[in-house]
Amino acid sequence: MSAVPRPLSLLCELTYRCNLQCPYCYNPLDLRSYRDELTTEQWSGVLRQAADLGVVQAHFSGGEPTLRPDLVALVQAAAACGLYTNLITQGTFLDDVLLDRLVDGGLDHVQISIQAPQTALADRIAGATVHDKKLEALRRVLTRDVALTLNCVLHRLNHDSIEEIINFAQRLEIRRLELANVQFYGWAYRNRTALMPTLEQVRHGEQVVAAARERLRSAMEIVYVLPDYFGDFPKPCMNGWGRQFVTVTPNGYALPCPAAAGITTLAFENVRDRSLGEIWRESASFVRYRGTDWMPDPCRSCERRELDWGGCRCQAYLVTGDAGVTDPACSLSPDHASIVALRDAVSGAEPVYRRA
Amino acid sequence: MKPTAHPRFGKGVKLRHDGDGSVMLLIPEGALVLNAPAAAALELVDGTRPLAEIIATVAERFDVSAGRAGEDILDLFERLEQRGLVQ
Ligand SMILES: C[S@@+](CC[C@H](N)C(=O)[O-])C[C@H]1O[C@@H](n2cnc3c(N)ncnc32)[C@H](O)[C@@H]1O
Ligand code: SF4
Ligand code: SF4
Repeated sequence: MSAVPRPLSLLCELTYRCNLQCPYCYNPLDLRSYRDELTTEQWSGVLRQAADLGVVQAHFSGGEPTLRPDLVALVQAAAACGLYTNLITQGTFLDDVLLDRLVDGGLDHVQISIQAPQTALADRIAGATVHDKKLEALRRVLTRDVALTLNCVLHRLNHDSIEEIINFAQRLEIRRLELANVQFYGWAYRNRTALMPTLEQVRHGEQVVAAARERLRSAMEIVYVLPDYFGDFPKPCMNGWGRQFVTVTPNGYALPCPAAAGITTLAFENVRDRSLGEIWRESASFVRYRGTDWMPDPCRSCERRELDWGGCRCQAYLVTGDAGVTDPACSLSPDHASIVALRDAVSGAEPVYRRA
Repeated sequence: MKPTAHPRFGKGVKLRHDGDGSVMLLIPEGALVLNAPAAAALELVDGTRPLAEIIATVAERFDVSAGRAGEDILDLFERLEQRGLVQ
């Protein structure tokens, strides 16, 4: 085993509580198990330990992070440790007062998600009347000294609106747009047959994005997160297990990936019991799939093994029941037929809304 | 980007110096590790200094021809501008 790498990024999932009910949410199904949330002091300790480990960026997400009354204090704590701070929110609570306090507290970047560019569709997906409020939040952030990314998760119900999403962003003069094809974990995995885009949607989406990039050039950076089940090779999930990223759940578990809690064959450890540094360096949950030594065939002998690190452990587990096999999203995986079957299992069923 | 431009960082873009002397550019959703000449060039970005002056200073400090340094640094600024990180 080579030297333990330096983590660069900490994802603080401050709470899984949320006032929306997106059926595409990757949060876990058993939301109630996460109610025993870390205190302000405990989160501040996690931020300090992360900075000491070499982390440079702290992302505050959830659930809805603005539901935590101590969000401003935590942004301040992160900034005081020299961390770049990023808030990932759906924006419905981002009023003038909160936004000013966050920016004054040192917030560097806000990512606001919408469900669709049209109010009716957006509210239908969110399971709540919120789109117009988000629009206000977007306008507000644009006037402040903080960077903004607009995010929209793409799935079968809104995939045909990609062009409208780009136009929506352009009208607001948003400089950075993230179009993220839904990844199938948590509620999204549960709703996969209702959310799976069609092949035509995926191909059309690629064309629309390519044309928009050509047209907008440096006026807008469009990040297009490829759909997982439609390519030949898997995504380089987390840039490798336990290599750059660490996530801490609302109740203090340190995870190599936000979806990892679903892997029941690994024993994750809690920052209430052990320091983040110890967990990062020594916990079996991080060491198990770090690097390339753990790899079975076909990854073991594949020349792409340090490009995609064998893909996603959570997906391997969800689809095959074994987190230690090649990601079935890879066309070289012996389990790839399972992914093809999932991709083709499209149903007209209504998605199940997220609820606690 | 022209040599007469006065580059400045976009919102949410900042330099970070580490104890070991390494320099990164922190950007929304990521970090770019900089080599020494790139770091030196970006340290000079303040919205008032012209790009030509930045190039000349870096060329002198790293003892390379202004032409060579100019190409690399122009290229760096073009790429950052394309991503909205420098204006
Ligand atoms: C889980 S959310 C938490 C923050 C906030 N509640 C929100 O939705 O913006 C974090 C980010 O992931 C996105 N997201 C949620 N579910 C996703 C999925 N299944 N695949 C890809 N992105 C997803 C959201 O749009 C948001 O940008
Ligand atoms: S994705 Fe939707 S349901 Fe999930 S946390 Fe964000 S706003 Fe809430
Ligand atoms: S076999 Fe493994 S390393 Fe090779 S492309 Fe597939 S997932 Fe990546």
